[in-house]
Amino acid sequence: MKWSGVLNIANDFRKYHTTTTWTLQAISMCEWCFKHGDGGKWYNNARLYRNELADEYNASEYLEEQWKNMETLFIRKIMGFNSIGLGYKMQMPIIGRVIRKVVEGQIHSEKKNRNPVRADGHFGQVLPLEDAQHIIGNLAAEPIIKNYCVCRWMQRGVKDAVCINFGQLSEVIEKHTRYIPEDVKYRLDREEAIQALQEQNEKGYVASVWFQPVPYINAICSCESPECGGLRLRNDFNLKTVYKGEYVIEIDIDKCQGCMSCVKMCQFSALRYLPSVKRVIVDLDKCFGCGVCRHACKHDALNLIPRESVPGQAGKY
Amino acid sequence: MTKRTSIKIDYSKCHTGASTDPRECRKCLFVCDPAVFLMHPTLEDHPDPHNPEIWRIDAIWLSKCTGCMKCVEICPEQAIVVKPGDSLSIIRGF
Repeated sequence: MKWSGVLNIANDFRKYHTTTTWTLQAISMCEWCFKHGDGGKWYNNARLYRNELADEYNASEYLEEQWKNMETLFIRKIMGFNSIGLGYKMQMPIIGRVIRKVVEGQIHSEKKNRNPVRADGHFGQVLPLEDAQHIIGNLAAEPIIKNYCVCRWMQRGVKDAVCINFGQLSEVIEKHTRYIPEDVKYRLDREEAIQALQEQNEKGYVASVWFQPVPYINAICSCESPECGGLRLRNDFNLKTVYKGEYVIEIDIDKCQGCMSCVKMCQFSALRYLPSVKRVIVDLDKCFGCGVCRHACKHDALNLIPRESVPGQAGKY
Repeated sequence: MTKRTSIKIDYSKCHTGASTDPRECRKCLFVCDPAVFLMHPTLEDHPDPHNPEIWRIDAIWLSKCTGCMKCVEICPEQAIVVKPGDSLSIIRGF
């Protein structure tokens, strides 16, 4: 009797302790949901898409300057440093740490004097197709356009019309005629944009939603690593330009047939095939929760689950 | 000590107005697996700032260069010189 009493107390303590830790993580996890989510995920907050909010932050003016200088962002000197050889610079003692701190501050800046030429306050998060389509269907401000991806043009030299932009950003991009697809309808209605996202996601492009500048939301990209400027900084330099998604993938061991189709879809090297057990395993620390691998699975073995429901992943964005 | 990669591009050969306009060629961008190169308008003032007309290419993500030399081989102007150093792979979790 005595012992079971002690065990019960221990169990209660463990339960209580686990819940508290989770709550704390939930608060620290999504800083941007906490600041701008109004009680939910930041990108599901309708207020952040409105013209009134854009005007409040002079978004049109900011976007005009940002987009005029978009391709020169990485070669411009910021406090004496540009991004040329950034990996080496970040290895330097002390200076490397200072650069990291300064750049993180700029990426997430909410200050009044944000510099559009440096794209201060421009960052995003990976999200699954369903969430992206919900945004386009219900939240995005018009006009909605589809334009050539800047990153892919400046880093790979290809024109790929996969960026869905909306609200006040659309009219700014239209002035940059080299990014407007020729001879096709590039102003899309909601249905067309939802369909475009579907096709791009199925190709293996990762959907991401962007503040530009925070807290105004006006873009859903279909990203490809390593050209994507955001994913480049996140994957290669661990700068939080792109946060991991609100989900992680779960593999149903009973359903996985080990066909490996999903492995080639993953842009984050999170999936791997194990010959010994003839199935695919996932490294959740690498999983961004984009859900792109699901399109390749013929056996319904892949499903997204909330990141917060996996204790080791909760709060890791 | 990390040995830095150096990549130099001869702008007398590859530049808007030179024998090859980078926007027309783009071969080095295409062959580079880690996408080390960046094609961009020059930092000068352009008559139409929305549509700048003078472009060039810089190698920017030098720590990602693996020294494969594909860019040197494919460049029709022989404008690229690579001195390979250490490539730094993903440093996630820095």
